[in-house]
This record gives sequence, C-alpha cells and structure tokens, in this order.
Amino acid sequence: MEQLLAVWVDDLAIEQPDGSTLRHTIALSDALEAMCPFTEVVRRGLFVMPLRGPSRFFGGDDAVLAMVRQCVLDVVGVEVKLGVAEGLFCAELAAHREVLVPRGASDAFRRAQPLEVLGRKDLATTCQRLGLHTLGAFADLEPARVAERFNQHALVLHRVARGELTELESQRDRRLARRLAQLRGESDLFEEQQGFFGQRGAEDDRAEAAARRVRHRLGAEAIVVANLHGGRGPEDRATLVPWGSPATVVRDHAPWPGRLAAPSPATTLSHPVPLQLRDEANRPVVLSARGVLSAAPTAVIFSSPLRREIVWFAGPWPLVERWWARHRRRAHVQMVLATGEALLVVAESSRWWLVGIYD
Amino acid sequence: MFAFSPTRPSLSPELLARVRPVSLAKTRTVPLGNPWRALVPDGALRRGATVVVEAPIGLGGLSLALSLLSEASTNGHWAAVVGVDDPGVVAMAELGVDLRRVLFVPRPRGAWAESAADLLDGVDLVLVRPPSRPGHQAARRLMDRVRERGTVLVALSEPRAPWPLPADLFFRVTQAEWVTSSRLDARYLTVHVSGRGEMARGSEHVVVVPNRRGAAEAR
Repeated sequence: MEQLLAVWVDDLAIEQPDGSTLRHTIALSDALEAMCPFTEVVRRGLFVMPLRGPSRFFGGDDAVLAMVRQCVLDVVGVEVKLGVAEGLFCAELAAHREVLVPRGASDAFRRAQPLEVLGRKDLATTCQRLGLHTLGAFADLEPARVAERFNQHALVLHRVARGELTELESQRDRRLARRLAQLRGESDLFEEQQGFFGQRGAEDDRAEAAARRVRHRLGAEAIVVANLHGGRGPEDRATLVPWGSPATVVRDHAPWPGRLAAPSPATTLSHPVPLQLRDEANRPVVLSARGVLSAAPTAVIFSSPLRREIVWFAGPWPLVERWWARHRRRAHVQMVLATGEALLVVAESSRWWLVGIYD
Repeated sequence: MFAFSPTRPSLSPELLARVRPVSLAKTRTVPLGNPWRALVPDGALRRGATVVVEAPIGLGGLSLALSLLSEASTNGHWAAVVGVDDPGVVAMAELGVDLRRVLFVPRPRGAWAESAADLLDGVDLVLVRPPSRPGHQAARRLMDRVRERGTVLVALSEPRAPWPLPADLFFRVTQAEWVTSSRLDARYLTVHVSGRGEMARGSEHVVVVPNRRGAAEAR
C-alpha cells in the first residue's frame, strides 16, 4: 500500500465565522499541489499526499517534510503536525502523534492504537469491559462475533481495524471539496457527479434501494458503477468502482496523443489474458523497441489447443508514454479472426495481452 | 384497500362506460434510439416486455444489447447490466449510454436471476447475460416479475444456450461483417427482428453497430 503524508493543521480544523478558514485551506492546498499534484483536502485541517513521488523528486522524505512544514508556516503562519503511514486512517493517526511509520510497519502501528481512535465511545467502552484495549485485539475478533454483538456500523469499523478498509467514512468531508470548488469558481466540475446523488428524483431513490438489496445479497464489491477518465487505451479510460463509494471529479481536458479512436471494444478485460501471435512460419511475432512488428501475424494462440487464424490486422499503434522507461513500451493491434470476431490486443514487456473484444 | 376486500365494488354500467385505465399502454413504454426505433412497433419498448438478443459469441450481440439501453438512459431512466463480466465502459459511452444511471453487477456468480430480480424493482431496464444455459424455471419467474413490475428485460443469449421461453421482441444476429480501413471502422450486423402479433413473421435488417464514432445507426 502507498505511503501517505498526512498534514494536520489545527487552526484550520474549526471554521471561523469570517471565512478565513476556507480561504487559507484553498491557499494551502494550492501551495501543496504545486509540490505534489495528487494532494487532497480530506476535511477541514487535514491534507494528504502520496509520499513516494515527491520524496524522489525533492531528494528524500526529510526534504519533503521540511518543505511542507515551511509551506504551511509561510501560507497559514502556524505550526503543522505531519505524519507518514500507509492508508488514510493510519496516516491521520501518525500525524496526530507526529510519527513517521516506516514502510510495512503500518499494520503494527494500527494494531497498537487504543480503541478510541475509531471514534465510537460505546464500542470502546464495551470492548474495554471485554478486556480488549487495542485495535489489534479488536481486529482479532471473528467478524461473525462482532456482527452478533454490534450493529452494521461496527462491522465497518472492524474492517478498518483489520486493515481491510484503509479509511473511516467520518474522516472525509465530502461537502468540503464541493464548497472549495465553488469558492474557486469551478463548481461546474461537480455538476457531472451530481447526477448520482444531487437533484434526486423518485427514480434515483428506487434505483438506490435496488442497488442496496443487491449489495446485501452479494457483497459490497458486487455492484459497481463506471467512471470515465483520461487515458489512451479503452482499458485505461474506465474504472468500475463499488456502488456507493465517493464519486471522483472527472477532469479530462488533456489531450491523449495516440488515443485509440472509436469504436471501442464492448468487452474490456479487467484482467488481460496472455496470448501469442504467430507469423506464417509459426514463429512468435514480437514488437521491436522501435515499435515495429517482426512479421505480419497470421494466427493467434490463446492456450495451446486454442488457435485462430487472423484474416486482417491493423497496427501496431505505439502508446508513447514514459518513453524513458523502455519496459513501458506498449502498442495496440486490432485484428479480425476467421470466425468473424474482432479483438484488441496490446504488446507490453515483449508479451501480448488480450484487452478487448468487439463483441 | 379494495385489493383486500373479499368482493370488489361493482360499478354501475353508466360509470363503467366512462372509466378508462389510469395510463394508456402507449405511455407505458421505454424509449428506443436509432436505428431500432424504426424497426419495432411504436418505436419504443413496451414496459413489462422481455427482449431477447441472440448472437453467436463475439458477433456483436453485446454491442446490440447495450445500444438498446442508450436512449432510455439519456432520458433519465435507470438501467442495470447483470452478468457482463468485463463491460466495455468506453464503448457504452460511445453508444450513447449515460453511465451515471447504469448499475453493473459484473459477476453475480450463481445468483444472476436473483440479482436481476432485485434490480427489476428499482430500474427501468435490466440487461442480463446468464453465465450458463438459463433454466426454464428461472426465466419464467424473471419474465413474470418483469411483467408485474412494468420494467423491460433485455436477455442476451447465444444460439448454443438459447433463452428458453418465447420473447415479446426477438433480435437475432445472423451475420456480422467488419468494414476496415487502416483500422476497424464499422460493423454491419444482419439482424432478424421478430415478436408477437403483427411482428410474428419477422423481418431482416442490416444495421451498423458500432459505426466510426462507436454509435449505432441504420445503414
């Protein structure tokens, strides 16, 4: 899991009546975004950014910590509490305790925390009466035992304690992100996602109730919704996220050179299937470092008995991304098989993968 | 209250002559986009209907079925897609489906019929691809539920594992041909459309799904 740097600014946690809190929050998030574009305002007073990228760029974790500290001092004029750990839940705890939890130690760090950090007093008291004092002890309970004694909400907390969920729902303030965008005059960006939960009609309520039933029947990951965003291949441009998880803002105004043109495959494999391309002499077809095929492919082999003749192919269309890293060289090839099926395959790391079926 | 009373109130003949159904059959439809609008009666899907799309594997059945959702979803209807394990979301957007109102259950495992039934209560269109040959019993129960809830079921099947019951509307892909230039351009699907009543004999049409922009259109 990714190491996150949590930035906790006490003075911004409580909103002042003069509106200075939100102004400072915007100024600080802009300043932090200049250091790392993936900075996120989680709620009032809490900012978070991934540590790895900035750390490489600025020359080490300590350099990043010093820069962020200086940045908060310059922009808001107060001291900041910093913490590093894996996952938002642990990162925030680390910030409150001002510690840097080394990679891989977040599990132990989380398990050592007192139960109060889950923010449920009744749960903490009951567990203490049962002789459970730390998150670790709570996490070791069987989920079924937890479900017997507590309500649904406690099961979610239990998953957080076990590390299956990386953040508490109460950690995020979803309205804050929207208010900040409105203050910045970007509120139209949020209209797109309002379709889901804003301006609700009776249909939306009915759909939500049905979705909840399916989730109850099959589990949280079973029912998903689609998000479109930037990317080159159709396999990069969409993500399916569990229904009910916070929607992300779609900001795709960037050009994507080499983006594959429509039509896109109706099936886009979330787990690409390895395959082999063969030429007329039954030699494997490979993609050279310059993005050229070694020979025209005439057959595709999915697994040893399953072989199909290729009647037409187009490409390769190289995806020029991170050209400095040779192993990221990818190229798309479209093909039509003798059976009439059309496929989209991609060459990556000198291997071929099936990523889409035009079915 | 009347539903539970042992005898329903009898209406006087003169009143009976003046009452009419609360909603006309024509208003109880879900809109269809191009090119399907021109190919079915009333240019829309009747609520309570089951639509079966049958195509040999890999020959455009999924694209066809997804294109049936597009007009409804852009008009504010919710849709659900059950049993399509790796939906091509970008292709759906190109077909004109409004993704903000689509729920997916990609891997319902054994519970595809139950998941579809759950969703029928809440959305207007359910596209279902049974993972194996659908049973007679499950299909019957699902179709009854569709009729009762006034939604539309789009069932995607293959000739090898056909939908076991007659449908209200039946799209059968008999041929698929790609038009190519330096890339895949468009696919011409020969589709046999049939149904109940006046549609019983059926007719054959050639449609383009998808075209160069990824949408569906008449040839």
